[in-house]
Amino acid sequence: MARLFTIQAAWTYERMLGIGFGFAAEPMLRGLRRDGGTEAFHGAVARESRFFNAHPYFASLAVGAAVRAELDGVPPEKIERLRSALSGPLGSLGDRLIWAGWLPACAAIALILVALGAGPWAVVAFLVLYNVAHVRLRVWGLRAGFRSGMGVAGALSTPGLQRALELVSPVAAFLVGGALVSVLAWIPVHGRWETAAGAAAALLFAGAVRAIQPRATGMVVAGGVLAVVLALGVLW
Amino acid sequence: MSALSFVALLAIGAVVGLDLVSVPQAMLSRPLVAGFLGGAVAGRPGAGLTMGALLELFAFETLPIGAARYPDWGPAACAAGALAALRGGWDGTWMVGVMVVALVAAWLGGLTMHLARRLNAVQVRRREAALDAGDPHALMALQLGGVTRDAVRAVLLTAFTFLVGEHVARAVEAGWRAPRPLADIAVIGTALGVAAWSAWRLYGQRPTRRWLAAGTAVGLAALGIVAW
Repeated sequence: MARLFTIQAAWTYERMLGIGFGFAAEPMLRGLRRDGGTEAFHGAVARESRFFNAHPYFASLAVGAAVRAELDGVPPEKIERLRSALSGPLGSLGDRLIWAGWLPACAAIALILVALGAGPWAVVAFLVLYNVAHVRLRVWGLRAGFRSGMGVAGALSTPGLQRALELVSPVAAFLVGGALVSVLAWIPVHGRWETAAGAAAALLFAGAVRAIQPRATGMVVAGGVLAVVLALGVLW
Repeated sequence: MSALSFVALLAIGAVVGLDLVSVPQAMLSRPLVAGFLGGAVAGRPGAGLTMGALLELFAFETLPIGAARYPDWGPAACAAGALAALRGGWDGTWMVGVMVVALVAAWLGGLTMHLARRLNAVQVRRREAALDAGDPHALMALQLGGVTRDAVRAVLLTAFTFLVGEHVARAVEAGWRAPRPLADIAVIGTALGVAAWSAWRLYGQRPTRRWLAAGTAVGLAALGIVAW
């Protein structure tokens, strides 16, 4: 289980998560070392270390399923097909559920807590809240994958997961909307007109970034604007 | 900052840098957390948290998706948090300088991550035969090598951000001549502007747009009640 947390440690453009996948699967494949023969074990480790790409948390589901298939003696070409078939859906699921949903929602809650004066507790709340779901997902994935083997696709249609997918984006959108206003109120500038000017500048800036998409990211434009302000402030 | 604190800052920079991709992806690398930790090392966690919260607004734009090249906020925010802690409360002037350096460092973080991945690939190619033979030692060596390269990368980024940021912040503090509100407005405008744009990009489509609007409305109403 602990090895799943390092699944991206040796990430490459050629194999993507492949090396980490093999590394995470290897201890569970040791059951293939029977009667002094290691051929099946080494063959399975080599297969599981080939190209694989998915969301790192959901990759645990594929690791569990592939290991189960190897232990059940499923033909190698079928295992290869399973790994290949899981890549896209697990990546897309993780992107929607975690990167575009759960992470922004937790970050928004933390920012609201900062604005409410929670200080360090905002950081603690963020880490606990986010990682309860994160760790649970990895544990669930490994267990569900190992239980299901080649029938792992069924695990993706569990009601809990589908419900989470339905709820996470609206909840995140609501929290992020609230967080942006909270942060504006919290920023300790000198006067209300400065806050109002900051809000107006933010809206203008957001509009400008939207207008020039996809030629530059907001971060790059912000860096440029801040560098100009910096030069202006010093050369005034 | 004492030498011991600086070493502690580099160690935390390595941890938050590793967290983004290598291990354990527990979001220690988010600017809010990394800024707070950097501030704590420098003696004022609250100031680090303020800087971290501002950089978190920029990080809303970042979705760390697989092969995409995305900024690495952890080491940059950790060092920026420490720089904020060394200066105390809110002051837009040095903050503009530190934020510029942090943004450049985060962008460099993405670039260095790309280089680290290329180096990982070189090592994988060298061990291709062992991997094809299913050698677990080869996997262990590659994993350890990947983590080591990532840690070195994060330490260098933290050091770069802190040393350059300190230099820039001092120069700006001494040389700022424009009205101070200009700096405050630039800091708020860019940070919130990027966050607002990112929120629109993520949730501005039909199914979630109304929820984004509802959250903003509730926030504004709460703000009105508090102000009243």
